[in-house]
Formats: sequence, C-alpha cells, structure tokens
Amino acid sequence: MPAKGFFTDTTLCIGCKACEVACKQWNQLPDDGFFFTGMSYDNTVALGASTWRHVAFIERPVPLQTQDAGAFSWLFSSDVCKHCARAGCLESCPTGAIVRTEFESVYVQPDVCNGCGYCVVNCPFGVIDRRSDDNRAWKCTLCYDRLREDMQPACAKACPTESIKFGDLDHLRAEARARVEDLHEKGLREAYLYGEDEHSQPGTGGLNAFFLLVDKPEVYNLPPDPVVPTKKAKDAWTSMGVAAAGMALAAVGAVLWGKER
Amino acid sequence: MIAVTTDGRDIDLEVAKLSGEGALQKVRPVDTHMQRVAREWGKLPTPDTSDPTYYGRPVLKEPVWHWAIPLYFYVGGAAGASLVMGSAAQLDRSGELENLMRRCHWAGIIGSALSGAILIYDLGKPSRFHHMLRVFRPTSPMNMGAWILSSVSPSAIVAAMFAQRRGILGAFGEISGVASGLSGLALSTYTGVLIANSAIPVWQESRRVLPILFGASAMASAGSIFDMFFEDRAARRVTYTFGTVGRAAELAASIALERQAGRVPHVARPLHTGASGFLWKTATVMTAGSLLLSVLPGRSRKRRVAAGVMGTLGSIMMRYGIHQAGVASARDPRATFRQQRAGHGAAELD
Ligand code: SF4
Ligand code: SF4
Repeated sequence: MPAKGFFTDTTLCIGCKACEVACKQWNQLPDDGFFFTGMSYDNTVALGASTWRHVAFIERPVPLQTQDAGAFSWLFSSDVCKHCARAGCLESCPTGAIVRTEFESVYVQPDVCNGCGYCVVNCPFGVIDRRSDDNRAWKCTLCYDRLREDMQPACAKACPTESIKFGDLDHLRAEARARVEDLHEKGLREAYLYGEDEHSQPGTGGLNAFFLLVDKPEVYNLPPDPVVPTKKAKDAWTSMGVAAAGMALAAVGAVLWGKER
Repeated sequence: MIAVTTDGRDIDLEVAKLSGEGALQKVRPVDTHMQRVAREWGKLPTPDTSDPTYYGRPVLKEPVWHWAIPLYFYVGGAAGASLVMGSAAQLDRSGELENLMRRCHWAGIIGSALSGAILIYDLGKPSRFHHMLRVFRPTSPMNMGAWILSSVSPSAIVAAMFAQRRGILGAFGEISGVASGLSGLALSTYTGVLIANSAIPVWQESRRVLPILFGASAMASAGSIFDMFFEDRAARRVTYTFGTVGRAAELAASIALERQAGRVPHVARPLHTGASGFLWKTATVMTAGSLLLSVLPGRSRKRRVAAGVMGTLGSIMMRYGIHQAGVASARDPRATFRQQRAGHGAAELD
C-alpha cells in the first residue's frame, strides 16, 4: 500500500471552512461551543480533540503580490494532524493505542487509549488532545474508514479549490515541488514547502501532511524546527543513569560510613 | 458584449438587475477606494513581523495532568529512595540496621501502592490502567514507568517478608531486597525522563538535569520522612547522611536546571514568573533552609524535625513548580518558537 497523505497548498485556500465542516460531519464530531474570538474570521481557534481541521486566518500588514490590497494581505491555511513519519504521539503512547496504518497514517484506537495524556505533551504541533468529558485522546484519522473504502478524506473531497490535495505521497511531493517552481516563476518568491520530507524537516522525519507556505511557519502557528521528543530522550536516560548511580553510591556510603558509632 | 459592471460590484447586467439594497451606493473608482483602505491599514500599529505568533495563541497543547501527577512524582520518589536505602542497609551485617531495613521496605510498599493509586486516578480511563502493560515500549518513558512501578511492590513485599529470615528464605529475601533497591532507583528517577521526553520547551530544554533533580529530591524526601518520624539511634545518622546528600544535590540540580533552561532565556521564564516561579523559588529556599539546618553542628531532635518539614515542603513544591512551569511553557508560543530559532529544536541533534 503506497503511503497516503495531504498536500495543503495554502495559496489556494479561500478560507471557506468547508473542510472543517466536512470533517465534523463525516466524523460525527461534537461542536466545541460557539464563541466569537475577534481573531479575524477564525472562531475555531485551534485543532483539538473534536476539531480535526482548523482554518487559520492571518491578516498581515505585508504586501503580497498576488493580492491587490496594497500594504495588506490575507493568508488562509487549513491545518491538520501532520501524520509525522516520526510521530511524537505514537512513540510516547504507553498503551500502544496509537498505531501506524497500512496508509502510513497515524491512528488512535479509541478502544485501547486509557487517557493517560502523554501523547498530548509529546506532539510537537499541539494537535492531539483529550476532552475532559470523553477522557480519551483524539485527532484526525486521515479518514481511515473512508480510505479503506477507497474514498478520499472528507476534507479533501469538500475543498472547492483543491487547496487540500490528497493522494500518494510520492505524487504529492512531485506536484508540490512543481507548484513551488511555478509560483517562483510567477514571481511569488516567498513560496516554500514545509515538512515535505525528511530533508526539509529532519526532526520529524518529514510530514505525511505537508504544506506550501508563503511566510514564516510561526505566522501559521507552526513550529519552525519541530523535533519528535524521542530523538532527545537519550540525554534524559543518560541523566537518569547518572542520578541512579549517584543515589546508589550515596546510600551505600551512608550505610558504610554514616552509621552512629 | 461584456456588460459586467466594473465598479467593484462585478455584476453581469445581461442576467442581473441592479436592484439590491446597496445598488444606489455611489462608487468612486475602485482603485482610489482601495488605496484609501490600504492607507488606513498602513496607519495601524505594525505588529512585530520579526517575531510573529498566531494571535498569541499557544502552539502546543498544555498538559492535561492535574494535581495528582506532581504528588505522584513526590510519593513515588520517596518510596523509591526508601527502598534504595533499605537495600543498602543489607550491607550492614551487625544487625543494628534491621529496623531501618524493615521501615524502608514498608515505606516502599506503602509508597508504591499509593503512587500506583494516584497514577491510576489521574488516567482519563482508570479502568484501563492495565493497557499500559499490554506492550513493552522503550520509546515511551511512561510505559517503562508502568513496568517499573509494577516491579516495585512485589520485590519490596518479598523483601519485607523474608529479608530477616535465615537460610534459603533469607537469601531469597535478600535478593528481593536488592531487586527492590534497583526498582527503587528507577522509580525515583524515571519521572524526570517522563517529563523531559516531551515537546514542552522548559521540560525538554532541562532534560539533562531533570532526572538528577528528581532523584536528588527523592533522596531528600525519604531522608526528611525518616527525620520527622523515626528516632532510631543506630540508623539515624544513615538516613540523615543520605537525606543531607540529597538536599545538597537537589539544591545544586535546581541551580543547574535554571542554567540549562536559561540557555534560551525565554524558555526559563516560567521559573522566574507567575505561580510556577513562586513555587519554584520557594522550593529552592525551603531546600536550602533544610540543608542549612542539617549541616549546622549539633543534632537535636527538634532541629531534625524542622529540617525534615522544610525538606518535605521543598521537594513537594519543587514538583508542583516544575509541573506549573510546563503548563506556562506550553501556553507561551514564543517559548517554542524562540527555542527552535535559537537552534535548540532539531538543529542541536546534528
Ligand atoms: S502532528 Fe502530532 S498528533 Fe499528528 S502524528 Fe504528528 S505527533 Fe502525532
Ligand atoms: S492518552 Fe491514549 S493515545 Fe494518548 S498516550 Fe495515553 S493511551 Fe496513548
């Protein structure tokens, strides 16, 4: 089975939130309450346990040559679980609830998850979360149920501009690179790919859901150089070894030389 | 013939009629209008585009763990360190430390049972605790912890039952005593790895010190408990020495942790400000105070109890301080952004 994923081309996004709606509908997710945030048109705010697609609305005092609004430009970007090649959530899950599927996506099995919350602090993108009423961890499944029926994910299906493209990762990567070149030729020099492979994002080994951006990752609330925490765990385990050795020495020393004589 | 209006309405007059509520609105040339809008945008205060965030929203999710987890760190630490003392006490062949040994085993048994209960209580689905034991997964410190925790009680119970016997049973007890000491070492230090292995900037940045700090604090916790509750002539200098070394190491590790985290100044901010800063600083003062009390000459009962109380408070507050610092760190998108821009993301692995 070839690896599947998303290529989200944010230059094509028009901020319609059809993906958010399609995702909620297909997956029959509950709402998260209705709030007015004042953050542009973004009243969804962030990805969460019951929000698996989130469209960011960025109002910038920066000109963008494809837009005709003087010193101002809009950026829209539909965010989603990245289905990282090295996924912090999966590697940290103590129950094995999070698995890698035949499509190379990262899937949480709700019947196994015991709600320990460890994945929540191990996702470098702040994607997976636990709802206080359900108590288990949830996130985008890459529409695992649809993929098994040979259908594309609901968000990609609903996207009216093909900003969200779904397909074989190899094809998507080639398509994305061509798109960047094309945009460069047309004068949009800012365009670049975020996390399309291990080379561009060594910390996560590449993302199966990657993005085309035209500003710094931070602007879209994406980390500039994310890393799967496990890659740094050796330092901590070493420190634990030192701590244990020190404690053993202290205990033996206290018994041998500390006894009241 | 193209009859689409060019006044910004883009209405095709072939198929539509200008009859809407706004149809009578006079439109100046669109370009002039746009320029005015753009001019006004230009007058808005320019956000700092060199250091952007998304409306200041967090980039990470904050830990969903509540008050039980720092308490778990404390109780598990104290239980583990007691077992370490207990198995070291086996080295003494005079029989004078038998009481200490027994107390250590019991502290380990009660402490690990309690910490197991707290840990299960904190789960979203407590009834599924055993799912942690359906896999063996070295990449997950929490999974390793579940295995460590499940090895503590059995070994400590067997040690408590047989360590003071003679013959085969005694030998069995002694071996279990050593095993309980080893699991105790792991139980009191792995929690540092548990939180260091995370995306939370302040925890990740201090990963080289956290396990040492937690281990040292566990020694101080165990020492303090023995100081406060037991008066055993033969053993008191043993527990006192062990605890004092722990307090000194805890203090040193706290300072080291601040420096580690402070390599990216913004990352260390929760250690200086807010509730987490208060807890962290008070904990340091308490630990320093208990260390001072325990190294001053003379060892009256009162002084030992005072040192024990301060040491206990210091250890507990330190755990809560670290937990709160993690929450604050997750809430602050710049902690993540600046840490990674400073080359402390994946870049420092090369
Ligand atoms: S983005 Fe987060 S939740 Fe999604 S696979 Fe990566 S680590 Fe897991
Ligand atoms: S909350 Fe569930 S999915 Fe997340 S790490 Fe714990 S057991 Fe795994």
